[in-house]
Order: sequence, then C-alpha cells, then structure tokens
Amino acid sequence: MRLIRLILLCLIMPAAALAQSFEEIARALPEGSYDDRADRVSALASSGDPRAEALLTALVGGDLAVLKSDGRLVIVTDGSATDALSGDPAGSVTRRDVTPVRVNNNLRGHVRAALGTLGLVAESPAARTRAAAQVEAAPDPAQLSALEAALSRETDTKARDALEIARASVLLVAPDATPDERAEALALIAERRGAAAQGRIRPLLSDPALKDAARTALADIERAEALRGWGLTLWQGLSLGSVLLLAAIGLSITFGVCGVINMAHGELVMLGAYTTFMVQEVIRTHAPGLFDWSLAIALPLAFLVTAAIGIAVERGIVRRLYGRPLETLLATWGVSLILQQAVRSIFGPNNRQVGNPSWMSGSVEVLGLSLTWNRIWIMLFALAVFGFLMLVLRRTALGLQMRAVTQNRAMAAEMGIRTGRVDALTFGLGAGIAGLAGVALSQIDNVSPNLGQGYIVDSFMVVVFGGAGSLWGTLAGAFTLGIVNKLAEPLAGAMLAKVMILIFIILFIQKRPRGLFPTRGRAVEG
Amino acid sequence: MTILNIDSVSKSFDGFRAINDLNLAIDKGELRAIIGPNGAGKTTMMDLITGRIRPDRGTLFFDTTHDLTRLDEAGTARLGIGRKFQKPTVIESLTVAENIDLALAGPRDVWSALRGPHGKSAVKERARLLDLVRLPDPDLLAGALSHGQKQWLEIAMLLAQKPRLLLVDEPAAGMTDAETMRTAELLRSLAGEHSIVVVEHDMDFVRALDCRVTVLHQGHVLAEGPLDHVSRNPEVIDVYLGR
Amino acid sequence: MRLIDRNMTVFLGGLFILTVAIPLMQGNILPGYAIQLAGKYLCYALLAVALDLVWGYAGILSLGHGAFFALGAYVMGMHLMREIGTRGVYANPELPDFMVFLNWDSLPWYWLASGSFAATLALILLVPGCLAFVFGWFAFRARVSGVYLSIITQAMTYALMLAFFRNEMGFGGNNGLTDFKDLLGVSLSSPEMRLVLFIASALALAGGLLLARAITASHLGRVLVAIRDAESRTRFLGYRVEHYKLFVWTVSAMMAGVAGALYVPQVGIVNPGEFAPANSIEVVIWVALGGRGTLAGAALGAIMVALTRTLLTGWLPDAWLYALGALFILVTLYLPKGIVGALGDLRPARKQSKEVPA
Repeated sequence: MRLIRLILLCLIMPAAALAQSFEEIARALPEGSYDDRADRVSALASSGDPRAEALLTALVGGDLAVLKSDGRLVIVTDGSATDALSGDPAGSVTRRDVTPVRVNNNLRGHVRAALGTLGLVAESPAARTRAAAQVEAAPDPAQLSALEAALSRETDTKARDALEIARASVLLVAPDATPDERAEALALIAERRGAAAQGRIRPLLSDPALKDAARTALADIERAEALRGWGLTLWQGLSLGSVLLLAAIGLSITFGVCGVINMAHGELVMLGAYTTFMVQEVIRTHAPGLFDWSLAIALPLAFLVTAAIGIAVERGIVRRLYGRPLETLLATWGVSLILQQAVRSIFGPNNRQVGNPSWMSGSVEVLGLSLTWNRIWIMLFALAVFGFLMLVLRRTALGLQMRAVTQNRAMAAEMGIRTGRVDALTFGLGAGIAGLAGVALSQIDNVSPNLGQGYIVDSFMVVVFGGAGSLWGTLAGAFTLGIVNKLAEPLAGAMLAKVMILIFIILFIQKRPRGLFPTRGRAVEG
Repeated sequence: MTILNIDSVSKSFDGFRAINDLNLAIDKGELRAIIGPNGAGKTTMMDLITGRIRPDRGTLFFDTTHDLTRLDEAGTARLGIGRKFQKPTVIESLTVAENIDLALAGPRDVWSALRGPHGKSAVKERARLLDLVRLPDPDLLAGALSHGQKQWLEIAMLLAQKPRLLLVDEPAAGMTDAETMRTAELLRSLAGEHSIVVVEHDMDFVRALDCRVTVLHQGHVLAEGPLDHVSRNPEVIDVYLGR
Repeated sequence: MRLIDRNMTVFLGGLFILTVAIPLMQGNILPGYAIQLAGKYLCYALLAVALDLVWGYAGILSLGHGAFFALGAYVMGMHLMREIGTRGVYANPELPDFMVFLNWDSLPWYWLASGSFAATLALILLVPGCLAFVFGWFAFRARVSGVYLSIITQAMTYALMLAFFRNEMGFGGNNGLTDFKDLLGVSLSSPEMRLVLFIASALALAGGLLLARAITASHLGRVLVAIRDAESRTRFLGYRVEHYKLFVWTVSAMMAGVAGALYVPQVGIVNPGEFAPANSIEVVIWVALGGRGTLAGAALGAIMVALTRTLLTGWLPDAWLYALGALFILVTLYLPKGIVGALGDLRPARKQSKEVPA
C-alpha cells in the first residue's frame, strides 16, 4: 500500500513542488498526521533547496520549533532562535516562547533517511554518485521515493549506475516491495557488485520468496569469483614469467652460443638496476622535470655499462677458458663476488630508492582484475626484448654467425667466421640484456647488492627447463615456470612452491635432458 | 649362422630419415666393410647396434636371441659388441696398461671394481695384447701417445674385451699408408675368431680387407657383394664412387 | 698404486703434528680459541676431500655439497637440542624451545630418533646418503652431466635452504638450532670436550682421506677417471657409468655429512644459511686451489682459504669478498692444477704422475 502511495507521490511530486513552494511545505511540517508529515519531509529533501539540510537536521534533533509569538518556524540553539527559512536571527527565546515540532521515532527515521538522500540532488554528478553509494551502504526503505525521483532525472551514466544499485539495495530491504521487484533488485546487485554483494545476499537465503534467486545469484558470484581468481593467478604467473624471461634470456644466449654459464649474470642485472638509480639521482638534483624519462635514459646507459663489463669479462677471463665450461663457471662466480662487493663498497649494503615514473604508477581495471602499470610495462618490455633478440638472431649478420657457432663451432670457424669475435659480441649482448633487465627490475624489486642473487637460481632453472640457446625455449620456460609457481603458491606457500618446482624440473630433465626446445649444437653437449 | 641380424629398421631425427628400412645380416666370423657417402647413416647404424639410440621400427638381434633394442651401451658391450670410434678415444690420464686393464674382460660392476684389478692371467693377456699392437711401454701415459699409437691402443682395448662382434669406424683415418696396411692385415687376421664390421671411406683400405662390401645410401642398403661386383653397379657409381 | 703416496704421507704427517701441537700451544703461543678454530678447519677440509672425490675423480662438479654437510650438521644439531632437556628457556623436558614457542604439543616423528646418540651417528651417514642416492639416481640415469648437473645440484641446495627456512619444517626455521649445552653429558664448552672434538675431527679427516684414497687407488678409481675423461668410451667398455657415479656420489655425500656433524658442536649453531649456494661454491675453490684430484691438496686448500678468511675478516672485513672473488679468477686462469698439482710439475717429471686435464 505504502509503496503505491510512494510511487504516486513520485509522479505528482514535481507538480506538487511546483504547486507548493519550499516555504509552504516547511511551514506545514508541524501539522497533520505523521504520514503526511513524512511526505512533506521527502518533498523538502528532494527539493534541492540548500536550506533543507539545516531544517531537517534541526527537525531530527528536536531543535525545530514554532515561535508562539508570530508562528515563525525557528531553529533553537543554546537559547537563541534563528529563522529556519530566512536564516535571520530571531532573538533569544525560552522554552515557554516556543512550541517544539514534535517527532516520533518513525518520523525521525524518515527524516534521517531523507537527510541521506540530500546529496542525490546535489549539483555535481560525483557528489550524487557518492550519495547513492551512501544509500547503498545503509539502505532505508524511506529513501526509495527520493532515489526514484533522482533516477528519473539523472543523466550522468556513472551516477545513474550508482543510483540503480542504491535503489535495488533499498528494494531488497523494503518490506512492501513485490517479490518480483526484489528478485530483479537482487539480480541487479549480484551482477553489478559481484563478491562485494555476497554479504548482503546471503541473509536472503532465509527468505522463502527469494531463496532460489539468492542461491542462483550466490552461485553465479562464486563462479565469477573463481574465474577472476584464475585470471588473477594467470596474470601473476605471466608477470612473474616476464621477470624470469628478462633475467634468463641473456643467460640463455651466452650459454647457447658460447657454451658457458655466466655466474655473474645476476650481478649484471644488479648493475643495470644501479644504473637506473644513478640516472634518477642525477635527474633529481639537476633536472627534476625529466623524471618521467629516467627509465628511457637509463636503458641505453645500462645496456652499455653491462655490455662493456661483459665484453671485458669475456676478453679477460672467459676467452682463456673455452672448452672448460666448469672452470668458466667458477671464474665468473669470482667476478660476481667482486662486482657484488664493489657495489656494496660504493653504494652501501642497504636498499637504494628507485622511483616509478608517473606512467608506471597506478593500475588499470581489466575484466575485473586490477593490473598495475609497472607489471604491464615490464611484461611488454620483456616481450620487446625477446622480439629484439629474435630480430638480432634472424636478421643480422651477427645473428647468423651466432647461430652457426651454436650449431657447430668447428665448422663455423672453418667457414671463416671469427668465432672469437662472435663469442665476445654474444657475451656482450647477453650482458647488455642483463642490464636492460636490471632497469626493469629496479621498478619492482629492492635495489640492493643482493638483487642478482635472488634471480640466478631461478633463471638457471628457466634455461635448463627451456633448453639452452633456444629463445623460444626460454620464453616457454619462463612463462611455464612463472605460471606453475603462482598456481602452486596458494596450495603450498611461496617457499614450498619453489621447492616443488625444483623437484619438478629435476624430474622433467629425466624425460628431456636437454630441455623443452633442445638446440642441436655441439657447444651445449657437455 | 648370423651373429647380427638387422631387420627392417628405421630411425628418424626431427623428420630426417637417417635409417630407412635397413636390412643387414652379419655371419659369425665374417669381416664386412660398409661404405657410403656422408650422411648415408653409417654412424646411426652403429649407434643402433650398440644401444645408444632406439629404432623407431624394426628389430635388431644379436646371436639370434638377444634383442639389442632393449639394451644400453654397457649392456651391448657386455654381450660382446665392441665399438671403435672414428676419433681415437683412450683414457689420456691413465697409463697404457691401465687402459688395457679397464677393457679386459671380467665383471663390470661397482663391487668387483672396488675389490681391485684382475688377477695374474690378466697380466699375461695384457702383455699379449700390447705385443700384438706393438706398444712397448705399458707405463706411458696414454695421453702421451701419437695419434696412430692411440688408434692401436684403442684396438688393443677392443680386443681385451673379447668381443664377438667388432664395430670399427674408419680405422685408417689419420694413419700412414704402412699403418693402414698393417691395420687391414690385423683385421683380416682377427676375422674368424671375431665378427667384424668396418665402416670406411678409404677404397684402398677396403680393397686390402678383401671382403664382402655393403653400400649404404640414405639409410638403406644400395648394393652388397664383393668390392669388384658392387663397384660395377651403376647406382653405386652414381651416388658414391663416381662423385 | 700404493695407498699412501708421497702427498698423503706429507699431509697425514703434518696433520698428526698439528693435532699434537695445537693443544700444547693453545693458551701460550696460540689464542684460547685455537682448538675450536682448528677443529672447524678440519671439518672444512673433510668436506673438501668429499668434493674432490666426485669432482677430481669422477668429473662431477657439485655446486650443492654444502647441502650434505648441512644435513649432517642438522642431524647432529637435533641430537644436541634434545640433550638440552629441561635447561631450555621453557624448561620443556621433551620439546626444544622453538617447538614450545610454536605451540607444538609433541615431537614430530622425524625427531624421535634424535634422542639416541647411536641413532644419530647412523643418521649422520644415512640422511645425506639417502638424499644423494635419490638425487643421483635420477640425475645420473638421465645422463645429466657437465654444467647441467652443476646447476641442478645448486638448485637442490637452494631448494633445501628455502625449505629449512620454514618454521613448519620443524628445524627451527630462520634461527636454526642453537644454545646447545652438552654432548654425551659433557659440556660442550669444557676444554676436554673441545679437545675430543678436535681430535675426532682430525681422525675423521685422516679416515676420510684414506677412504677416498682407497677408492681412487682401486680399480674403481681408474673406472672413475675413465668416466671423467671419456664417459662415452667407458660405457662402450661395458661399464654402467651411472652406477659408478652413484656409488662415489653417495660415499662423498656421507663424508660431507660427517664433516657437518663434527662442525656443529664446535661452532654451536646450525641454520639454513649453511645450505646457501654461495657456501657450496666456495668449497669448490678450496679444492681447485689445493689441487683437483689430489685429495690431500683439497684438504690443504680448505684449510688455507679458511685461515685466510679468519685473518682477513678480522683485519679488513670488506676485502674478504674481493680476495675470494680474485681467488676464483686467478686459480682457474693461472693455477689449473692447484698448488699440489703445480708443485708436482716442479718435481722431475715422472711417467706415472696422473695428470688432471682441466
């Protein structure tokens, strides 16, 4: 009954508002039945008049009164009265001078609800959206008319969406809404709010009329949530995979072409991160405006620094140890210890602050998943590095020579390829890629002298799993291990997941000792 | 009586058919030369016989009862198949005598190895073999031998295994003419007691072996018979001899 | 081949003299902690001998031998924890402090045997031995060798480190096992116990050296060298290479476990850091410095590096990693045969000298 009346009211309200001025409705507040007065409260609240808030607040607080002397509506605070409509002071009053406007609990609740809807008629769409959200958080059937009035004139899509959900929330708790209306409201909330609505829907399971609808809605939400969870795991796995890809890909080509393990690879990654730190330091002190460009500046610098170190290590050490891969492993481990300690001596043992440029901060919502920009950029960057290496290998003379040396070093040498130069350049390229990886990792990891150590075992696993020297193998290996790692984590915890992966790899190389994509080369046959 | 029977064997690597429906039978005590251009599948055939790789199709039987496809290298070696590589491989940081000791027939398991080297008869056998291949100093490190001497040492090691079937991959490679002839002579003298399969490029050497010849081409037997016979075969001339 | 060759005679003689001399000199010429320090070095030396057995003779470069050492150490540490008894902070007669702290109400099953010293002695061999056997069985059967094998041994010790860091594993998590009181009822800090542990370490090292020597001087030793130099050839001679590798790998792991078990009571703590891959790689440089495939050289290298570390970290702490890094580079470049190998080259060339190809 009441609902029909409310709806009728909604229909006539604009007319009523035209017919009756704000002042007239306000003056009529003390009179008539509580129901009539409730209607007047709603009319005041939805009028959009700025005086409504003070008036209604006073009403609910028992401060609204009628002056016995002239029948003016006043707000009494601490013994002084203010005209509720004009805002003029009306002098000091005592209790005997005024007749308070009486409210009972029912009306008080109604006024409160009306106060909650005041924002719905606010000027800015954002404020209206906020108000709708407040209604949604504490729905009150008394707000229904105001919501519907607001909906009927709302043009902003976001605010409209919020209002619709608010209305549905109110309908769910409205005692005299029809079952159909409520079921519809339930479906709307479940669809728009997803997991956040579970708490609101669950109590409805005990409502005989809505039991089935609620159960379906909850099941739908759970299914969507599970899907979202899988999506999130997949994303985290891909994200971890892209980091592994960056860390491992340089290692993979040096291992594939030169047949040596560069144990200092992790430290070259670390140097790339420190190069980023240095670039940012210089920018901070000399050209703060360039901060957003810091990574773009750091990339070529990091590549050059680490490639130069790589070539120096190749010329000075690795070159003299060819054909002795185990010794190379030990010597490059020595290099890694020295680089680590050097960075510790120069920059100190603690983490260094490397900032995210603005375009790498924040996140974006995709299919209900919140993806951070730095992870997205790193994934794109990893794929770009992969594509770049692919181009180098397939389209350049160096790439051709590298592939030749990978497959048959002796034959390549006899065909006039200067294998020494190819080795040095490959080592430099692998080291340079490590530097690039360092720039990227500085955005998501702590920049400390130990940065490289954290990646070295994982990137070895990627190389062993994917097959040394195969770019596609490294790609597949990195993403597989990344995803498997993230899938195993919720089951077993982060550390045990790693342990499980290591066991998995040890078992995997039983079946395929040369990895997923074995390169058929002589260099890697150890 | 056949010692080795290869029946309809095929083996592919990444789609490349290295061995294609190969049929080959070696008689007990026979000396057989296998010739063929590069990529004819000679090495793959040896790998199949010694259990290093498994065929995709077909059967390999040793002495009619032993299925070679179920054995690994050590297993085929213990059955009595000896293999000599193209590049001489001896254990360079052991002495000549120790190299022979490693190869001498006897138990091959870990526990027997722990109990120590073989007995008195082994010493005699070792001396006989070193004499046969004319290596005078048993205490010399194998790494200090010349290329030719390494070949001889490896042959001695093969014989020490007392193999029933010997697979010899290009024994004449890197040898002087005189050494080549001596090797041919040695192999001829060993035939009868052992069955021998020799893979060779050097036609003079094959001629000196004076035995049945099998021509392999694209993993398949192209022709078989005495050298003079196969060398008149137009197909053989086409793919191999008349290159 | 004689069991005790020249190098072995010199080393064992030196070891004997030091074992007698250090306790006598302690307190006057040497500082009071000399015995403990020397005992620690001897444990390192035994670990180096264990690694040399697989790397020097079978060509298996293990980057995870620290794991076997640490497992032996944990087995011993568990026994020492149980001996604390009611003297712990929580005075629980059965549970070690960290378990009380984690609100565990009973010992996990794998702690049950740790109360018995005899069982502990057996487990010191069995635990590293079993891990090595299982790991080796998989790795060698799959013919994983060379750098691939090195990488997965490194992964093995890394995985164990991660596992032991977890409190739920029941090995004290981050902090490991410590606050030991006594062994067989004798206080660990008493001079007698320290002397016993030192002598036990010296005996273990001598025993380990002789065992390794016995293995490598036997026919089996020659098979190992054959595997190292020409694995494929050895298979075609009829040897099951994986069995030989597995044997020597397991023996080596047990030896490393003994070293770890003797190490713990002398340093008083064992924590997951012992599994760190960097520790295992350091062992490799001890062996390389002393001389790969010389056994006594490996032990010597371990003692030299450990002594240098003690001196250098006291004097110039930052210089140690530079020195260690430089050692890795210089030894591999300029001293491929190690000190003992280089000394051997100085002597008049003998035909029998077993050269180790780099």
